[in-house]
Amino acid sequence: MSKLGVYDVAVRYGKIPALEDVSFTVSEGERLFISGPNGAGKSSLLKAICGAAPTSHGRIEVDGDVLNGRSPEAIARLGLTMVPEGRDIFGTLTVEENLRVGTGIRRDKSAIETDIEEVYENFPMLADRRHANAGALSGGQQQMLAIGRGLMTNPKLMLVDEPSLGLAPNIVDQVYQTLVNLQKDRGLTLIIVEQSSARAARVGGRMLLLRGGNVVGDGDSVKFAESDLLKEAYFGQDTPEGPS
Amino acid sequence: MNAIPQLFFDAMSLGGIYAMAALGIALIFGVMKLVNFAHGEYIAFCVFALIVPSTDAVAVMFIGKAPAIVLIPILLLVGAAVAVASEFFVFRHMRRATPVAMMISSFALGFVIQNTLLLVYGSRPKAISLWPELNKPVSIIGASIPLLQIIVILTTLIVVVALALLLKKTRIGLEMRAAAENFTMARLLGVRANVVITGAFALSGALAAAVALIMVTQTGVADVRMGGQIMLVAFIATVIGGLGSLPGAVAAGFLIGAASVILQGFLPLEARPFRDAFLYTLVIVVLLLRPDGLFTSNSTKPRV
Repeated sequence: MSKLGVYDVAVRYGKIPALEDVSFTVSEGERLFISGPNGAGKSSLLKAICGAAPTSHGRIEVDGDVLNGRSPEAIARLGLTMVPEGRDIFGTLTVEENLRVGTGIRRDKSAIETDIEEVYENFPMLADRRHANAGALSGGQQQMLAIGRGLMTNPKLMLVDEPSLGLAPNIVDQVYQTLVNLQKDRGLTLIIVEQSSARAARVGGRMLLLRGGNVVGDGDSVKFAESDLLKEAYFGQDTPEGPS
Repeated sequence: MNAIPQLFFDAMSLGGIYAMAALGIALIFGVMKLVNFAHGEYIAFCVFALIVPSTDAVAVMFIGKAPAIVLIPILLLVGAAVAVASEFFVFRHMRRATPVAMMISSFALGFVIQNTLLLVYGSRPKAISLWPELNKPVSIIGASIPLLQIIVILTTLIVVVALALLLKKTRIGLEMRAAAENFTMARLLGVRANVVITGAFALSGALAAAVALIMVTQTGVADVRMGGQIMLVAFIATVIGGLGSLPGAVAAGFLIGAASVILQGFLPLEARPFRDAFLYTLVIVVLLLRPDGLFTSNSTKPRV
């Protein structure tokens, strides 16, 4: 149902290319990690998919609907949701208001209240703070809230940008456990930008390796972790002994 | 003595007008990062909408003929319509422009509205008598207060409470607050940019109409240039209040109104003509001490 296709996509900021020519497809219910060094174009790729960055070339499709040129709010209506890097919680809104911002696009209004309760069941620490300003939450709680907020749009495909950024390792474990469980329960398609290939290998799934705006590898994340491809992606073939 | 209650009512009613005008500017700044300098001209436009278009010296009532219960909603709609139209024809085409470019176009739009009014109504100020009975004094706690002042204060309170409820309790209010904080994120969650921005302009225009009604009842004059002075004060109020902060705009509006009335009341007689110089000196002092305004809002960060 929610098959994502990215074909020959390029993104540039002014004259600077962020993505050069990226193609891949993701099938329903799949978990795809996007990994690679800083500046590889990981975030630009997610932004291009959700409509936050315009593409300069190529085509992005979900279930046959072309996404290029559509506004972010129109793309959200097709069942894509974004959990951005840095989480972008609405700090002046309460936790519950954050959860409700994305419910405007839903047709099944009657299910909203039960879904909110479900989010609180998944994230009990949010339930305790439901009327508190979201800006007062800890980083881990904000990450959970960002995921819950995305879920409240009732998505088919969830894009998660660097969920481990700035969080303690045990919190990162929790975040990934939650994502994996949600995927199991709801049949979500997940695309996760994760800089740490070791982390991606531990969670398991397919991995797309980017470098310099191009795809340089596509395969099982566990196999990647054992191969030299990663080192090449991060340091380049002709880099002399080790990082400086 | 009854000077103190008198001053209090003067300060509150002047502050109320400033607060409503400042709210109109802060609402749009919140969602669009646009300082809309055409706001003063919305006010003038609403005043002139009360009378029949003509360059004659004597004003003939047009919308102004209607009874208050009809007149008020119609004029609020006129204000909302002119603001929404200016968004549709001007600002919508500048969504990706820098805030400075948008601000300059708002000046241009203001000149267009002002000159259109000049063309249609002529340059001479016209006397308008709208609800003259409201300027009759009533006696409250030993002071003699024009009824209008009390109405202005009550209106401001009602507007502020209604706006707060709208923002807090309704879907569009939630979307406006989310968009004011992070427009891109709100859109990623399906919030329609056009709906939120049109809503903000409609509210802002309706506020301009409310200010127009009060000003014309108070002064009894329709003048093409009448929006300039109030726009300046309202803009300063939004800056002092912290650009984008609605409570800040209201508080600063009242503060400037109060400071203005107090200076008028207590400055030595020979210094009174220079009241505004003292007022703006105070403004400078406030901004030196709190450059981000008294109530900072995190929506002042530029929109991405």
